[in-house]
Amino acid sequence: MVKVKYLERPKLNTAEKIFFLDFLNGLKTTFKNLLRKTITTRYPYEKLTPPKRFRGTHAHRVKDGKEPPSFTVLEKFMEINEGESRCVACYMCQQACPIPTLFKIEAVQLPNGKKRVTRFDMNLLNCLYCGLCVDACPVDCIIMTDEFESATDKRSECVIHMDDMCERGVSFDRRRYNEPDRIWIDDEVREKLWGQIRWTYTR
Amino acid sequence: MELLAVTIGIVIKSLIFIIGMFLLAAYLTLVERKFAGHVQQRPGPLHVGFHGLLQPIADALKVLTKEDIVPNFVDKKLFYLASLMAFVPAIMILAVIPFGEPIKLFGLEIKPYISDVNVALILALAFGSISIYGVIFAGWASNSKYPMIGGLRKAAVLIGYEVALGFALVGPIMLAGSFSLREIVEAQQGFFGAFIWYQPLAFVVYLFSVLAETGRTPFDVQEAEAELVAGYNTEYSGMKFGLFPLAEWYIATFVLSALAVILFFGGWNGPHIFGALSPYIWFLTKLFLVFMFLLWVHWTLPRYRVDQITEIAWKVMLPLTFLNIFITAGIVILKG
Repeated sequence: MVKVKYLERPKLNTAEKIFFLDFLNGLKTTFKNLLRKTITTRYPYEKLTPPKRFRGTHAHRVKDGKEPPSFTVLEKFMEINEGESRCVACYMCQQACPIPTLFKIEAVQLPNGKKRVTRFDMNLLNCLYCGLCVDACPVDCIIMTDEFESATDKRSECVIHMDDMCERGVSFDRRRYNEPDRIWIDDEVREKLWGQIRWTYTR
Repeated sequence: MELLAVTIGIVIKSLIFIIGMFLLAAYLTLVERKFAGHVQQRPGPLHVGFHGLLQPIADALKVLTKEDIVPNFVDKKLFYLASLMAFVPAIMILAVIPFGEPIKLFGLEIKPYISDVNVALILALAFGSISIYGVIFAGWASNSKYPMIGGLRKAAVLIGYEVALGFALVGPIMLAGSFSLREIVEAQQGFFGAFIWYQPLAFVVYLFSVLAETGRTPFDVQEAEAELVAGYNTEYSGMKFGLFPLAEWYIATFVLSALAVILFFGGWNGPHIFGALSPYIWFLTKLFLVFMFLLWVHWTLPRYRVDQITEIAWKVMLPLTFLNIFITAGIVILKG
């Protein structure tokens, strides 16, 4: 049973009725807003930098010495040179994806017995940018970058491939790898907005 | 021969007034959009020209070159007539509005008004009342439910506030003793001669009536975009659509602000600090301030319900104007 709380409408007193005091209050508010600075971002000319956790176009991290321990375990079965995508073709991203058919992943066995990823295509037209593939990746390979301008003229251009994903990952890591992983620029900004943060709740 | 000269003079003057009004209305759209933007902390039009100064021209080009769709279920004659009926009376009020005193220029006496008739105020009210037909015709001829509801609502609001508006104007008329707008202005000499000090009640009623007549926000039920798609002009497109907001939001508001300045703020009276141009500068400054005040109210307040609006018109505004008339008449009789 939903509880309904009934509220009395605030009654106006005589002065407020005669002199339209509530009208005047509203006019004061709009006048204050009129004098304030506009908050518009003039988009094509100035662009905001999204937060680091922004879920934009996908990218691949490359083998550059910063891999997690799980990659060093898998590495000896893989034929991956320095600077190439660290994808191990485990299909975990495809398993996690709500629309698995948007992935086209292929890998071959080389004559020396090692595995090499030959194809990693994503059809972003079907992607809903949920980020589950990023969570599923065991080697921290597939990531989502802060690039959001992915509109193109042709449908075929919306399919991204391994090589351009690697480029995007390199550029993203160059720009933002060292940035602390939080949504706001600084805790000070957050405190300005919401006041002092109490991390432990005490009664 | 003299008649011909007078006719040619009036035609030229009317053309100047009409074309000037068109250009002004185009730029009033820019003023309104800039103002609305800054009230909501956006910059408004910004990219066409310096800070959007060429935006009205771009808008006019767009509206004029758009495909003009006439649905085949409408009443064609009324449908075409309605946009004109809304637009022409609004601009016709300009015929009686004086913008200043006659001046001598190159040996010619130039009157900054088209005609100075002794029933100017009545004419202005009559033209204002004709524009109601445009709205009703538009609503009826569109043969569609939203325009119909919008037209009926606008008719209800207009009828209520026309009455209040007419009675509100009785006060200034009694004080000035004339219907001629020029004589009303001449009756208000000096800062404390302006009728706003003697007729505050009439001024408040007048403001409310202007907001209702021009369909600005507390009373914009006829095109309440949340309930009716666009009100009575839902089925219109192209320039036929453009005429409605142009007439109602800009020309009517401008002209009624001019009437407010003439009736309550002493028209072109003011200190002669700008030389020969000072009456015009004073008049246009006051006009602009009143217009901006109306915009300010528009972009502040939410919308009333339909029944509340007519209730205010008949139960609050009309008695207030009667009270104002009785008080004014008593004082006029006592003081002689």
